[in-house]
Amino acid sequence: MKIWRKLKENPEFLQKYFLREKIIKAIREYFYQEKFHEVETPLLVPALIPESYLNVFKTEFSTRSGRKTSLFLTTSPEASLKKLLAGGIGNCFEITKSFRNGETGSDLHNPEFTILEWYRINANYYDLMTDCERLFRFIYKTIDNKKHNLVYQNKKIDIYLPWERLTVDHALQKYAQISLKELIDDEDKPYLTADKIRHVARKKGYQTSITNTWEEIFNQFFLNEIEQYLGNDRPTIIYEYPSVLAALATLKKSNPLVSERFEIYIAGLELVDCYSELTDYSEQKKRFRNEFQLIKNKKITTRTIDNEFLDALQYGLPVCSGAALGIDRLVMLFTDSVSIDEVLLFPFSEMLDNKK
Amino acid sequence: MSKISTSDFQKGMFIKFREEPYQIVEFKHVNPGKGSAFVRTKLKALKSDKVLEFTYKSGETVEEIPIFVKEMQYLYKDKEGFTFMNNKTYEQLNLPEIIVGNFKNYIKEGQIYQILIHNDLAVGMRYPKKVNLEVIEADDGARGNTVTGAKKVVVIETGAKVTVPLFIKKGDIIAIDPESGNYLERSGK
Repeated sequence: MKIWRKLKENPEFLQKYFLREKIIKAIREYFYQEKFHEVETPLLVPALIPESYLNVFKTEFSTRSGRKTSLFLTTSPEASLKKLLAGGIGNCFEITKSFRNGETGSDLHNPEFTILEWYRINANYYDLMTDCERLFRFIYKTIDNKKHNLVYQNKKIDIYLPWERLTVDHALQKYAQISLKELIDDEDKPYLTADKIRHVARKKGYQTSITNTWEEIFNQFFLNEIEQYLGNDRPTIIYEYPSVLAALATLKKSNPLVSERFEIYIAGLELVDCYSELTDYSEQKKRFRNEFQLIKNKKITTRTIDNEFLDALQYGLPVCSGAALGIDRLVMLFTDSVSIDEVLLFPFSEMLDNKK
Repeated sequence: MSKISTSDFQKGMFIKFREEPYQIVEFKHVNPGKGSAFVRTKLKALKSDKVLEFTYKSGETVEEIPIFVKEMQYLYKDKEGFTFMNNKTYEQLNLPEIIVGNFKNYIKEGQIYQILIHNDLAVGMRYPKKVNLEVIEADDGARGNTVTGAKKVVVIETGAKVTVPLFIKKGDIIAIDPESGNYLERSGK
């Protein structure tokens, strides 16, 4: 159905959009109160952070004389924001669009989506956990100050209760009856081999092959045995992910098997990804090289590596923590919508269908 | 039996899961946080009709169970369930209500439907993407509820209720998605 006709016949889509307006306004108010700077960063960039788990949109810039340069749509504003942090901007946030190729066929993904990122300097991941609790309560109060409980897909969530804080290791023990250490072959070189975790997976009845990585099998455990229990009566902060899933997070000093990273789940929706930012240039460079190799192996769209980002790290990124929040998913939560398409005025899949 | 990969998954397909036959009721792609891709499925057990969730690694292989499709005419419903007849052989078979599921609200006597057969047993029916049914009761003067938007509830020829836009009138033919029960469009008068 044509977009305008759908809106005309189903005015609830507009109602949901009006709530989205209020949510975004509340987010801005929260950060203005916290004295954060709101910044704008480019969507079209000549180089990206290498992330082998993301597929990207590639395009081309041509000068009047016909000289061509590859350009990419950003998968998140992270690289640009960290350059600004190295440049001394201080606490900052941005609400912007991000782009990830191939992400369709899911209720939770649209190739173009709206993201909030914020960075607090001299802060660690625990400080950001508090930030998240305060931000959510602030938004909720602004859009609906009467009710205490949020209802999503018949689940009643009290966001005013202290949020559940659960490490990945505890979650594994609690719900999958196994500890993280029991899944690791060699603590000096963790996650390189996957013999133990593969053995456990087979015993649990999963299909595994020699090509499955540690991270793949772990994620399958997480999705089948843990995720369903997260955030069901109050939000859950699940933290300290295995360091193989650290991305741009710093490792925990007292236990380098895990990283200082957390995610927030509310009623089964994964809403926030946060970490104490990795400020170590040589470690970051090492991880980049790894990711770059993985991109090559996977035969996905190659991309130019953002060396300026590495320069910024080498020059010095202040100690800081940052978080990313999917705004479309947040609107899904507050409007009790099952699919991201219900909270977008122009869902990607419908635009493609209408083109036919 | 043939091996298929998660990229071949289709709604309604029958597969073996831990040595038992299941039907894929729903599947979605998920990319958790930072990492590899997965396919989350809802599987309905053919024997017990229980639904469970399982997440496959993208690219995992499963065994597909061979299913035959027979075109059959829907005759009537009784305590045993829904009776269908093969118009060529006059063979009849019965589908229990639980297998017909939500489609029971949109099924019309005399129409031809696709029945799925496994080991000579009827195990399901293929839902059309949309069904066209006549509106037999509608409050043409309804103003709708201003909170939920301009909508009203009408009764269709099978007796089921459907929420539709205000311009739908008695005698209209409307298209409905039988899976969700949602109104799709007005298809005729």
